[in-house]
Amino acid sequence: MMAAHRSSRFSLASAVFELLDPIPFGFFVATLIFDIIYANNANVLWVKAASWLVSIGLIFAIIPQLINLYAVWFNKRRGRMAGEAASFWLNVIGIVAAIINAFVHSRDAYAAMPDGLWLSIVTVVALGIGRIILSGRNVTYKEFSNERA
Amino acid sequence: MNEHKQNWRLKIGAAASLALLLTACGEKAKIDLSQQLGNNPELPKAQNFLVPPMQVPDGVGWKGAAKPQVVSGLQIEKIASGLLHPRQMLVLPNQDILVVEGNGPGEEAVTSPKQLIAGMVKGRSGKGGKGGNRVTLLRKKAGSTGEWEQHVYIEHLHSPFGIQLVGDTLYIANTGNIMKYRYTPGETKMSDPGTELGDLPSTVNHHWTKALLASPDGKKLYVGIGSNSNITENGLDVEYRRAAVLEVDTATGASRVFASGIRNPTGLQWEPQSGKLWAIANERDEIGADLVPDYMTSVQEKGFYGWPYSYYGQHVDERVKPQRPDMVAKAIKPDYALGSHVAALGLWFYTGTGLPQQYRSGAFVAEHGSWDRTPLSGYQVVYVPFANGMPAGPAQPIVTGFYSADEKSLYGAPVGMAQDAAGALLIADDVGNVIWRVTSAGQK
Repeated sequence: MMAAHRSSRFSLASAVFELLDPIPFGFFVATLIFDIIYANNANVLWVKAASWLVSIGLIFAIIPQLINLYAVWFNKRRGRMAGEAASFWLNVIGIVAAIINAFVHSRDAYAAMPDGLWLSIVTVVALGIGRIILSGRNVTYKEFSNERA
Repeated sequence: MNEHKQNWRLKIGAAASLALLLTACGEKAKIDLSQQLGNNPELPKAQNFLVPPMQVPDGVGWKGAAKPQVVSGLQIEKIASGLLHPRQMLVLPNQDILVVEGNGPGEEAVTSPKQLIAGMVKGRSGKGGKGGNRVTLLRKKAGSTGEWEQHVYIEHLHSPFGIQLVGDTLYIANTGNIMKYRYTPGETKMSDPGTELGDLPSTVNHHWTKALLASPDGKKLYVGIGSNSNITENGLDVEYRRAAVLEVDTATGASRVFASGIRNPTGLQWEPQSGKLWAIANERDEIGADLVPDYMTSVQEKGFYGWPYSYYGQHVDERVKPQRPDMVAKAIKPDYALGSHVAALGLWFYTGTGLPQQYRSGAFVAEHGSWDRTPLSGYQVVYVPFANGMPAGPAQPIVTGFYSADEKSLYGAPVGMAQDAAGALLIADDVGNVIWRVTSAGQK
């Protein structure tokens, strides 16, 4: 009984998700900032750093995106909340753009621009809107928990 | 609802097409190699890729008695094997052969994810093999055939490449300096510990080889120094005195830039008829399987040959920022294109009489082969006929068969060349770790 009760409030998957999901977004925002700087000053330090950021961001994205995929489409035990599907597809767009961006960033010197900058913008905007859509869910969840406590 | 569904299909379609784009690796070469030989190569439009054209055969070496093929009228024999990345040779007056064994110092920092991947790809091809950092002396066994005696002649060098003998002074170009040794004929081990003549540019060492050529009077050394990047991706500040031919004064070690804008001049030679300095150069990668042709060219004093701002004269490379129209305007068009990504590393103007008549007035070029083209190009030694000090006709393959018919296995790759007193052409093979000797068919 306890176990059943706990599982409704705490799941390993959502803990891992909440822990890892913000990391790629931060990396991609940093990629965008570095791309903007490189596009303006053409100092290769920035584009090399950006290529690490986008690659590492993608590695951190693997596990939370798989959890997200399962939670949105395959978890029969819970209903799909409003906005989750739209958020999922925005994530797909953002991640696909980031994967392409990692390859674009492997080009030498200024060949990464302007494509890399545009792809960084797509990734950040898509993931950003996806998070904004879900922010309503988080607020209600937190308020709900606070009321319970 | 319907609208929603369509929206979804659109999104799935978009995702699928993006995925397709991603898997679309670099294209195959479209231009026939023969269109990129000579003084007016066909140059397609530059492209950018997600993944550049790439094909890297596995380095497997030569099994048993396997050897490269030569055109009819010639024969080839193996005179040394088991060497440690042999790259350049020098035939001594007593006909011993010095073989310089070296590879990159491996000191280039990994500063981008791409470098991690590129290192693994290179390792597979056998081109990443550890260099011996030494010079081996080969001596023909009196009255016997087969492989020559090997003696370790100089050890503990630092990625050596160029080697020249002027009188009794032996010069060896490490990646970071020129060393000077007193040469004693007949020795099988160098007795002089050597002294440094002067330093050479050695930051990063993306292109690490330092080709060496002495002036006929022995007063100057010309040093070929490659760029520190493909196309300035390591920044312009590490390109100081790079992609250049330096002239070093042998009396003092002082040096100056003799010519610049040559991306990777790995072979320097005097053209025998005109007496002019010629260089062989590797051009830039990653703007197409058919760009940019490697070349050989006469080198003018204070000449600028384009790198990084432009290629083949005034073809601007958009990857370089800031752009320099003033430098592009100055760029000299090279004399002779050898084909894209053949990776021409070795140049030898043949002056002997041992080979058949048709090879006696021109240059041999060793093409090491590159990762950045599919199908493969290079991996052969070609002959370029010369007349009146200039190339006169298309390059003809002379030594081939360095890779398997399916382009999957790499047996060897030619680098430096030399010629001995009998007029034989010597070829260093740094994937097979072999020295080959090419003679007229039937000659001993």
